[in-house]
Amino acid sequence: MNHLTHIQTNKELLETRFFILRLVREFFWKENFTEVETPLIVNVPGQEPNIVPMKINIHNEKIVEFSGFLHTSPEYAMKKMLAAGFENIFYLGKCFRDRESFGGSHNPEFTMMEWYRVGKNYVDIMNDAENLFHFIAEKTEGHNGIDKINLAKIKKQWQRKTMKSLWHEFLQINLDDFLTQEKMFELCVGKKYNVSKEESYEELFYRIFLNEIESKLGIDVPLIVHEYPAQMASLAKLLEKDSRYAERFEVYFNGLELANAFSELTDADEQESRLREERNFREKTGKDVYDIDQEFIGALRAGMPESAGIALGIDRMAMLFTGCQEIDNVITLPMSKLF
Amino acid sequence: MASTSDLKKGAVIKHQNDLYVVKGMEFVNPGKGSAFARTKMKSITSGKTVEVTYKSGENIDIVEVSRQKVQYLYKSGAMYSFMNQETYEMFDLSEEDLGDDAKYLKEGIDVDAIIYNGSVVAIELPRKIQYKVIEAPPAVKGDTASGKVMKEVTLENGLKIRAPMFIKENDTLLVNTTNGEYCERVNE
Repeated sequence: MNHLTHIQTNKELLETRFFILRLVREFFWKENFTEVETPLIVNVPGQEPNIVPMKINIHNEKIVEFSGFLHTSPEYAMKKMLAAGFENIFYLGKCFRDRESFGGSHNPEFTMMEWYRVGKNYVDIMNDAENLFHFIAEKTEGHNGIDKINLAKIKKQWQRKTMKSLWHEFLQINLDDFLTQEKMFELCVGKKYNVSKEESYEELFYRIFLNEIESKLGIDVPLIVHEYPAQMASLAKLLEKDSRYAERFEVYFNGLELANAFSELTDADEQESRLREERNFREKTGKDVYDIDQEFIGALRAGMPESAGIALGIDRMAMLFTGCQEIDNVITLPMSKLF
Repeated sequence: MASTSDLKKGAVIKHQNDLYVVKGMEFVNPGKGSAFARTKMKSITSGKTVEVTYKSGENIDIVEVSRQKVQYLYKSGAMYSFMNQETYEMFDLSEEDLGDDAKYLKEGIDVDAIIYNGSVVAIELPRKIQYKVIEAPPAVKGDTASGKVMKEVTLENGLKIRAPMFIKENDTLLVNTTNGEYCERVNE
């Protein structure tokens, strides 16, 4: 009776979660978005170096076997839709990532909200994110199961800071001087991190960011961190005023990352070369290597409009509104109860 | 040398010239780019809890510790007294030493003591512990119909947890000590 008990114990939290799902849809319908579906089973998975897709075998009626993957995000499919002329679209549904914790702030099967706006940039998406949370806060105020302290913080006007300003604020370091792998490596060595020369810029960056900055972010009010070093944004457009940084942002609340957004890269060649780099990195680090999705590159080549998009973790959003510390408690039957 | 895949609750590690007991850990993938192990751990010398994030696969200095069965006897003031079941030696741990584990202790229960350099640095609770319910508000007619299925009950050691409506005083329950959740009723 473990399943029944889990659902009974968390019934109020689950009701709140489902109410939030409904409000998310209402918000985007109000904004004239179309809810779209993308295939959950794909032939080519995402290329991100440290995300492990779940492999599955499918058979047709003649029992011919095909290898596929559960999607790790709907990003490639949604961008193909943008290239085909869809404009403001959102996907609200499951994504799958292998080798993640069963519980805590992860579940290998989780719910993702991804939305794209055509002809807009990442500042418009920042506004969407803030407006969405404000809308939900307003509609859930006074409901059972809503955390009053978190709600009060969400309702405030959010802070926006550049990544560079955070490094200055917390570490008195000018990030401009540490934008190469060599420089970041030296900085990590100086700070006594146990690093190796083989590590990518991003890995070195996160050593410091995760240990010395992240937990202090978004404590009194949600924080949008924007303008990431260009090396850390393989699907994003570079800043016009300073090409060392990219138009990417993340939302942090109580030290937890909630969402990741970009002004989308629309240049097919540039995209292909960045995906090739990621593929090489997978190869070098002994990970499974996947083909580059040529259909995705082809769609960009055919003409993907200027656009911006974001991926938002809905389970974590529910945790935040309910003040719940454990992701399992806002999921009907999490992995930890199934296996 | 050990790596992040050997990190687990109760492991003792050397970090920046201090020893820490791992209290919990989780793998994180920031910004889709990299894999890290976020570790919550408590300093054995200062008792302070810190969060350290290691890169996945990074070498970690895990220290050899031994474990011994000990029995929890009673609480006096802010100290919790235990007895080593092999040597019958008694020792005390403070609320600070025990952290969140303190609230799950009940008199007479067996736990594992983690011993480093001859002294007890932490305890490890069984994953599930049985408790007798000493206080459970009776279910009111209409509760279930209105969707209320859980209530707060008080256990023999004073711990309060949420349990299903049908739980009564004197029932025996199994409680998960990692998250304080009700597991099942195990009346003999």
